[in-house]
Formats: sequence, structure tokens, C-alpha cells
Amino acid sequence: MEIIEWIRFIVGAALLLCGLLIFLIELYGIFHLKYVLNRMHAAAMGDTLGISFSLVGLMIFSGWNFTTLKMALIVVFLWFASPVSSHLLARLEAATNENLEEYCQVYPELDVLEKELKENRENQEKGEEIS
Amino acid sequence: MQMQESMTLLDKIYEGMFIIVLVILAIMLFACLIRAVMGPRIADRIVAINMMGTMVMVMIAVLSLLLKEGYLVDICLIYAMVSFLAVIVISKVYLGVYKEKRQKNEEGGDSNGDH
Repeated sequence: MEIIEWIRFIVGAALLLCGLLIFLIELYGIFHLKYVLNRMHAAAMGDTLGISFSLVGLMIFSGWNFTTLKMALIVVFLWFASPVSSHLLARLEAATNENLEEYCQVYPELDVLEKELKENRENQEKGEEIS
Repeated sequence: MQMQESMTLLDKIYEGMFIIVLVILAIMLFACLIRAVMGPRIADRIVAINMMGTMVMVMIAVLSLLLKEGYLVDICLIYAMVSFLAVIVISKVYLGVYKEKRQKNEEGGDSNGDH
């Protein structure tokens, strides 16, 4: 029985430390990247993967009771909430930044993008025929 | 603390690990706060605050196991909902304020051009 408790501790601690590592990577990304839309990419990782790892580790510690269920509920809630808030933030940034062209490619009309993609595809097909 | 004598080795290791995890999370929380203060744009700050919310959620969950108080996890769930709501409300309100300001500027520019 003692051995099972120790195994549970080791597995839970490994998962919790994995979660902390993910948070650390997220923090590095948020200081390393240059623009908000890139930083958001790093920040979304901790919201889903980091907290899932940490809470699964804590669930293993807590055992089979209602606390575990509530922690699972937090993880599931964040899976739904995080993409929605990221989408809203990205829309806020794209709408309020007046010189967005400096940071990323902007297509004001969708037709231009579609035409460009079509040309690219045709060029690729031509290249394949030649080769 | 009356149970101190009956604590086994494993319990002591659990407690020490939880405290170390809490200290690491607190240090990372301060780094997030620095990002929120530095952030050049408003979306930067909101992203940093959102990250801080996630870390505080993990801290509350760890604390509930350290103190052996199961109801603290309820607070964690409510914290998740409130921080989600805060991000949505702030971004919606800021978008509305920005659009209103731009409209006013355009109107002002037109009237100046007429005179």
C-alpha cells in the first residue's frame, strides 16, 4: 500500500512540474516575441495545456472525490473560454491598430487573397509539370 | 498543527513540494505583472492579465490541497468565470470607445474642412 502512495506522489508531482514548465515557456514567449498577435499565441498555450497539466497532477493527489470533479470542470470551462477570449482580443487589436501593415500582411478585400492563392496554386502545378 | 507528530514522511514531502510550487508561481506572477506594466498596446496588457488569472487559478487549487479545504476549489471555478467575463467586457467596451472616438474625429475633420 505504501508503494502505491509513493507512485501516486511521483506521477502527480511530475505532471504538476510539467505544468510549471509550460508556464515558464509561456512566460519566455511573452517576453521574447515582438508583437501582440504573436504574444497571444504563446499566452494561449498556458491557458489550456499548462493548467490542464497542473490540475491533472493535483487531481491525482486529491484522489477520487468531489474536489477532483470540480477541477475537471475548471479545465473543461477553460477549453471553451480561452479561444473565445483570444478571438475577441485579436479582433480588438486588428480593429484598433491603425498601422497594422507594419507588423503583418493585411488583405482589406478577400478577393485579392483568393486571387493570390489561385495564382500560387497554378504556379505550383506548372512547376510540377515541368519537373 | 496538533497532528504534527502523526505526520508521515510522505505528508511532509507533499507539504514542502506545495510550498515550493507556490513560491515559483508567485515569482512567475510578478514577471507577468512586469509585462502588464510594460506592454505598449492595450491588448498586451489584457493578455498579461489573462495569464495572471490562469496562474492564480493554479495557486488557489494548490492551496486548497495544502490546507485540505475542498471548498477553495469552488472559488477557483468562480475566479475562472469572472476573469473570462472581465476580458470580454473590457475588450467590448474598449472597442466601442475607440469607434466612438474615431467617429467624432471624422465629424470634427469634416466640419473643419467646410469652414
